[in-house]
Amino acid sequence: MVDLPAKIRVEGLGVSYGDKIALKDLSLQIPANQIFGIIGPAQSGKTTFLKAVNRTIDFVSNATVKGRVLMDNQSVLDASSFTPVKKLSNNGMRDLCGYRRRIGMVAPLPVGLPMTIYDNVTFAPRQAGIRKKDELDTLVERCLTQAALWDEVKDRLDTLGTKLSGGQQQRLTIARALSHEPEVLCLDEFSIAIDPVTTMRIEDVLKELKAEMTIILVTNLVQQARRLAKRTAFILNGELVEEDTTKKIFSGNASDSRTNEFVSGIFG
Amino acid sequence: MSTPPTENSMRFAETELVRKKQLSERIAQFAFLMMTLAMVLPLLLIVTYLIYKAMPALSLGFLFDLPSRGMRAGGIWPALLGTIYLVVVSLVIAAPIGVLAAVYLNEYAQDNWFTRIINLAVINLAGVPSIVHALFGLGAFVLFAGIGRSVLAASLTLAVMTLPVIIASTKEALSAVPMSFREACWNMGVSRWKTIRGVVLPNSISGILTGIILQVSRAAGETAPIMFTGAVFYKAVQKGDVFAYGLLDQCMALAMHLFTISTQVPGVDEAIPFATAVVLLGTVLLVNAAAIIMRIILRTRKKW
Repeated sequence: MVDLPAKIRVEGLGVSYGDKIALKDLSLQIPANQIFGIIGPAQSGKTTFLKAVNRTIDFVSNATVKGRVLMDNQSVLDASSFTPVKKLSNNGMRDLCGYRRRIGMVAPLPVGLPMTIYDNVTFAPRQAGIRKKDELDTLVERCLTQAALWDEVKDRLDTLGTKLSGGQQQRLTIARALSHEPEVLCLDEFSIAIDPVTTMRIEDVLKELKAEMTIILVTNLVQQARRLAKRTAFILNGELVEEDTTKKIFSGNASDSRTNEFVSGIFG
Repeated sequence: MSTPPTENSMRFAETELVRKKQLSERIAQFAFLMMTLAMVLPLLLIVTYLIYKAMPALSLGFLFDLPSRGMRAGGIWPALLGTIYLVVVSLVIAAPIGVLAAVYLNEYAQDNWFTRIINLAVINLAGVPSIVHALFGLGAFVLFAGIGRSVLAASLTLAVMTLPVIIASTKEALSAVPMSFREACWNMGVSRWKTIRGVVLPNSISGILTGIILQVSRAAGETAPIMFTGAVFYKAVQKGDVFAYGLLDQCMALAMHLFTISTQVPGVDEAIPFATAVVLLGTVLLVNAAAIIMRIILRTRKKW
């Protein structure tokens, strides 16, 4: 049972790149204001799922998509049959970029944009039209604090984002994802390139953030999902194997035997 | 446990294999160094020979004087000015088209038969000999478009010639910007164009400019494309008149001037063609040096 209203509802989502099918008929409900874990081995379609949700799949020229994605019961992606991304409709959304700003996305590898830390965080808000200096200043402080980076960089906001260490850059990426005040935060294997200490710090941050937003945590570290997620979905080869409370998934008697094998480390 | 000191020092001693490796390393290094020098040597020889031969004629006056006695004496001001005109006008035409085309091809175009044909065309156009460009320019701009032999027609021809290389080098510079930067921007809801303007172009500008500036030297040095389309043997201009040529006037040009005084005019003082060559080479080297300096400046600002 879903105990909170679904923030994102995915119905029959399928994605293929050319002839290669990445996601098959996936249906999910992601409840609001909690951490939703998605686990699965490499190449199982986890990243594709996030791309479909925030509609950056549109930038993959050979992708075709079918199915529906709804955010707050409003359709953001709707294709009854496999449709090339070029022909996807905007579903009445005035502008897709505006929709993407409702979602924060953190990629697996830290990406400090080649500009100052300050500009990294204010880039998206400025593109969205915020120009006032004091407004941007408070925004930078808020985002960097939320990402647990403020204390380390507050005295050198004008150094380049690319000069930070890997773990700092990943927190900068999170700060950037928060800069446009998203309702949903997607993290795609955020910890694979950073050290355990930083990982734990970010995990603490996520626990606090879930009060304000819905968090989708894609990870191939199953224990991370176990620590953080309330509900967890297991995706294998583009198919949803099962989706249940994290407790159930990790209990060892999940409905599907493959889930039990995966979480106990027999494969994946 | 203690090891005898002799054995300990033996542990890092060179073996026969290591010595052999070190020898081949040294041989390889020497061979490659020689190849590098072999590349520099001709340039040095050309420059010293030219300057040596040109010495008697070289002076500041040579740059700014008009030719006299049927090209047999005086300076090369009209030719120098003509070359500057041709280069600037051709760049004004080719650079924006080339850069924008490259941005489209690299950032927007999808991989399909259409863009593949365009890319193939760009590569092939870059391989077309300059004399063929000249004939094309004569047919298309001078005759068909009716511009007539003029600065404009010659510049258009040079632009067509330099365009594919500008496109290719710009594309190269753009694709050197990591894809992850673009994805990070898209994820934040920044549009394609604003991503290009905000992240991609600022980080590829040094490569783009270098590519463009290197085409300046090519445009300045080519004789064939301008010979049929606008450059003339002699054009009377006022001394010191910077705006001597209109777009639809014919003009003199350094490369063309050098060609004519060394083959068509009898009895030219030997130093004059050499001095002209030095000026041409100097102009090209100056522009290349500017490219290198610009590259260094922009490199230090490179941010990843």
